[in-house]
Amino acid sequence: MNGPFYKYGMFNEEISLIVAFVIGIGFGFFLERAGFGSGRKLAAQFYFTDMSVLKVMFSAIVTAMLGVFFLSWMGFLDLSLVYVNPTFLLPQIAGGLLLGIGFVIGGYCPGTSAVACSTGRIDAMVYIGGIFAGIFLFGFVFPLFKDFYYSTPMGSITLPQLFNISYGTLVFTVVLMAVGAFVMAEWGEKKMAQKKGAEL
Amino acid sequence: MKWNIQWTLNKRLAATALCLGFLALIAGNPHEGGRYEIDSRELALIVDKEIDHVGALELADWIIQNKADYRLIDLRSEKEFNEYNIPTSENTTLTALETYPILRNEKIVLYSDGGIHSAQAWFLLRAKGYKGVYILRGGLEEWKDQILFPRIAENATKEELAAFERIKEISKFFGGTPQTGSNEAKSDVSIAMPKLEMKTPAKQGTTARKKKKEGC
Amino acid sequence: MSLALDEKTAMTKEEIKAKPYWNPYLSGIGLGLVLLLSYVIMGRGLGASGAFTTTASVVVETIAPDYARNNEFYSEYLTDGTRSPFKDWLVFEVIGVLVGGFISGALAGRIKRTVEKGPRISTKMRFVFAFSGGMLMGIGAKLARGCTSGQALTGGAILNVGSWAFMLMVFAGAYALAYLMRRQWT
Repeated sequence: MNGPFYKYGMFNEEISLIVAFVIGIGFGFFLERAGFGSGRKLAAQFYFTDMSVLKVMFSAIVTAMLGVFFLSWMGFLDLSLVYVNPTFLLPQIAGGLLLGIGFVIGGYCPGTSAVACSTGRIDAMVYIGGIFAGIFLFGFVFPLFKDFYYSTPMGSITLPQLFNISYGTLVFTVVLMAVGAFVMAEWGEKKMAQKKGAEL
Repeated sequence: MKWNIQWTLNKRLAATALCLGFLALIAGNPHEGGRYEIDSRELALIVDKEIDHVGALELADWIIQNKADYRLIDLRSEKEFNEYNIPTSENTTLTALETYPILRNEKIVLYSDGGIHSAQAWFLLRAKGYKGVYILRGGLEEWKDQILFPRIAENATKEELAAFERIKEISKFFGGTPQTGSNEAKSDVSIAMPKLEMKTPAKQGTTARKKKKEGC
Repeated sequence: MSLALDEKTAMTKEEIKAKPYWNPYLSGIGLGLVLLLSYVIMGRGLGASGAFTTTASVVVETIAPDYARNNEFYSEYLTDGTRSPFKDWLVFEVIGVLVGGFISGALAGRIKRTVEKGPRISTKMRFVFAFSGGMLMGIGAKLARGCTSGQALTGGAILNVGSWAFMLMVFAGAYALAYLMRRQWT
């Protein structure tokens, strides 16, 4: 048996939509479990009082990364068939900055806003209205900065290819970085709680 | 107390992640496209029974129907390719095949002049884990005989004539010249190869072939 | 409708009823396994903003069909009319996210009609910020070809270069502006 199943034609597109729905349920479920239906909890990341965003995001990345690595190492998953979104460096850096600013102002990102919306957060509904406005605006002015949108193309490239090191080395580096960040996050949260306690 | 238990859980998770990360460091690289063991008996059987062959007529049908679920690969030199190639084909050589952007889940039809080159390429790809690899039976030679310059004997039966009518249609689609009679004087010299009318697709990666983006 | 009042009573009730969130690392591992499953089954990761874009494109198409089809950005998300643009992987996935979020919230007693904000800001102002934040997010996500789910999470796990650059920038942008936004959240 070989993955990705869909790309080996194990089921058709209709069924892939059902798969999408089920995977979406899992995605939404764990986002809500983590508390990401709450804009306050998400925003607390940027005030060092609750580092859940970092912890959840990096444990998810580490889990999936290790899973992908070992499954493909065992020959179960064909990594060359997993879609790698092509890199366009400059627009992605600019987009990331904008998105980060939007995150701290709006309190959500698109995925978490959906969860917040379905758990009754009215500000998340307003926020989603804002996303649509942003997309309309983007589409409207797209012809103007089309050149920038397609600038600095690097193709579908991964970090091991960029640095010319083995995939495993990079996996290990990311795990080290993540665990380091977790330790710092725990320590920082404790410090912030102490500080708050002292103020009160 | 509860906090204490939680912390040990977190520590355990971190330790697991570090261990797995370290194993990854030792493991080095994931296997490109997974690990494949060549089952020589299975391959021999496939070769023997010609399951992996596509006939010229079948391929012609696919092209006429504009089927897009396969990729046709011409293994001849670029010069030969530019002189004539089967419509919709892409050109690459046996040596360049290794880096040519084809994916393991694609249906690939190979052809060369005869059958030898494509058979070699077939083994190469099968050994690398490509599953849907096919060979055009008889290569370009048979394509010429069956599609471009089909021939029918004068003393053909009614059934044979009826079947030939259909082949004529196909042949005309590809700009060929069907011939009647066993007259060998009308040799191939007098018939010109059809000019390349159908645009062959530019060399493109598989991402360009995708109809819909998979990104966000 | 007195939202502010509603919310105050809701907050107190919520604190009594709602169950605590899961250990973030466990939630993260759960999320990672869902992502891994998506890779193994589909060969692609998760996403969110794409579904919003499809919806937006269809809205534009209904209002101004010719404009939408000629606009390079919208036309990418539309179809030739033989099939609905909503028959899309990401659209179904995001519907799943809504349902999954609701299931989890309902199980933990966290479904509350409320507004998320700090105590120092009015609900009206919060809405203004939510809307403008969403707008920046919409533009940013389209510019970066994905959002936190489609780029940072999905691309991060397969070590995509652009995704990692994007992810660092998200944190940089958010931390850079956090101080100015402190009245909204703390």
